[in-house]
Amino acid sequence: MVNKVKAFIIYFWLTVFLIVVLFPFIWMIITSLKPIGTGLTLTIIPRPPTLSNYKSVLTQYKFGRYFVNSLIVASIGALGATVLCTMAAFAFAKLEFPFKRPLFGMFLSVLMVPGLMFVVPQFAIVYRLGWINTYKAMIIPHLANVFGMFLLVQYMKTIPDELVDAARVDGANNWTIFLKLIVPLSGAMIATVFLLTFQFHWNNFLWQLIVATDEHMYTVPVGLAMFRSAHEELHTLKMAASAISILPITMIFIFAQRYFIEGILRGAIKG
Amino acid sequence: MRRFIALMTVVIPFIVDAQLKVWVSYNDEEFAVFKQLVTAFEESTGIEVNVQRIPFEGQEQKILTACATRTAPDLARVDCAFLGKLAHRHALLDIDIGELADKIVPVALQSCILNGKLYGVPDQLTCVCLFYNKRLFREAGLDPNKPPATWAEFLKYAQKLTDRSKGIYGFAMRNTLWWTLPFFYSFGANFIEDNTCVLNSPEAVAALQFKVDLYRKYKVEPGAWKSGAIDPDMGFQNEKYAMVLNGPWKIKLLKTIGIDFGVAPIPAGKKGGYTTIGGTNFVIFRGTKHKHEAVEFIKFIVSKESQIKWANELGQIPVNMEAFPYVDTIRHPYLKVFLYQLQYAIARPVLADYPAIEDVANPIMEAALMGEKPVKEALELIVYKINAILQEE
Repeated sequence: MVNKVKAFIIYFWLTVFLIVVLFPFIWMIITSLKPIGTGLTLTIIPRPPTLSNYKSVLTQYKFGRYFVNSLIVASIGALGATVLCTMAAFAFAKLEFPFKRPLFGMFLSVLMVPGLMFVVPQFAIVYRLGWINTYKAMIIPHLANVFGMFLLVQYMKTIPDELVDAARVDGANNWTIFLKLIVPLSGAMIATVFLLTFQFHWNNFLWQLIVATDEHMYTVPVGLAMFRSAHEELHTLKMAASAISILPITMIFIFAQRYFIEGILRGAIKG
Repeated sequence: MRRFIALMTVVIPFIVDAQLKVWVSYNDEEFAVFKQLVTAFEESTGIEVNVQRIPFEGQEQKILTACATRTAPDLARVDCAFLGKLAHRHALLDIDIGELADKIVPVALQSCILNGKLYGVPDQLTCVCLFYNKRLFREAGLDPNKPPATWAEFLKYAQKLTDRSKGIYGFAMRNTLWWTLPFFYSFGANFIEDNTCVLNSPEAVAALQFKVDLYRKYKVEPGAWKSGAIDPDMGFQNEKYAMVLNGPWKIKLLKTIGIDFGVAPIPAGKKGGYTTIGGTNFVIFRGTKHKHEAVEFIKFIVSKESQIKWANELGQIPVNMEAFPYVDTIRHPYLKVFLYQLQYAIARPVLADYPAIEDVANPIMEAALMGEKPVKEALELIVYKINAILQEE
């Protein structure tokens, strides 16, 4: 009986929190179904509900193009960053080389500098390279992800050195150790880094805005900003576009939820 | 040699054949009309124009980065407040549009002048007026064709309109400095004189006291300025607030939703009913290699013909006064009120960092509205802090 009451209380509060957390999303969907111009009305059921916002977002506003741009940038960016992070982390966690500690320290110190500081110098470099309006400009400057590397280093350090030594005795070289031992063992963490970088790229507004001067190269966050002008905001269209734009992140989370939460927690305890 | 010169006269036009790069942040309807104007310009001058749409939000960072790396376009359309920052940082060229300058609405033009030089030309002009809900006026037994003419009358109306049991309030306001300036101005206060903020005058105190009283004493204002509250726009659209201050940009939406509303000049205070102005301007960046073409482009945009088209297709205030008589007030009846109000408008000072001034003033005004600070004391503090910012420049 006591257990039942306890369960009821827990579920009751969980439901309350669920509603609180989901409410903005539900409101987004509701608003996206309202006729244009009525985005700020307080009615819960749109009168009449319409899909025209979705239609005009996709046809009139090139949002499909922005979406594809974002997908390309986010997936290549996340993949590249994850590969680099994993390899670098392996080196820092399991290999010996000159200046390892000072180098690692240097990398970490970069984390302490606010990212905004880099925007102008990075832009100057990208501009001189002639990369304005290219995917390269959006992806390459963010390939080196120190935070992801740090996360992986801390995790890989928990893999016993004995395991690596045993593999070495069996004749495995660094490459084999990396691919056959380290990567499979750090799967959860690697997935986490992938998700975090994907999310970073997906949400990145300022950099993509600055390096793209052609509307065809705008990404989703930049495209979303276009629905707001000096005095008005096209709420219904913006919400329809937002609803579309959260799809990839939602899907990734649903599929990879397990890894994601596990990964973050592990880092927290053992890091 | 002669042959060479002959050759150059053929070649040079191709070399200098400019392609103007322009960044704009118009909304969809404005952009459609703007594109037509650009095409007309290209056809009449042969100058090619490359227009890029950039989001209004984030344009500051984008433009500042571009300036820092010398990759700015030739021209851009920027907000009044941002122009000051760019001009103070020497990112802009001064512009000479000749006699045309006399035709531009003076308050709008003055908002682009710094140290006697013109750093931008207004392409869009807004001011605020009093919007009122006619249906709610009728329900409260007021004549929907007789909006309040003075602030005293306004208060009487607001009291009649307020029905707290139904959640209906006579007035809803914002707390930012820009939205408070119409109160200050019409009560006879000045904002900045000789680079010194003078918002601590008795008139200014009376103006802010009036705002405070609307909320605290007469309770005809629901506190729409608080964060998280139903803001004036939303409340007016949902017919919860009977009167709000708003600009011409809102008309189209209100018509679409089908609100029965009227627009009236700002109620008169001691000095009359004054509005503040807003809007955007075209600026030319220092790095341009096509100054002449850029100036021509601006002249074309603010010409009488272009402005007539702009005003009538979009229902906006033209920046060129020669276009005033051609405004189609049958198609855009509200525009008449805004054109009238413009005669009682006060220019914006061109400041290096207007947003910083808002950041300083708004929380202190909020403290006054919350009753945490006497109005006089709040304004003294605001003046002290704003002057500190002004002296830094």
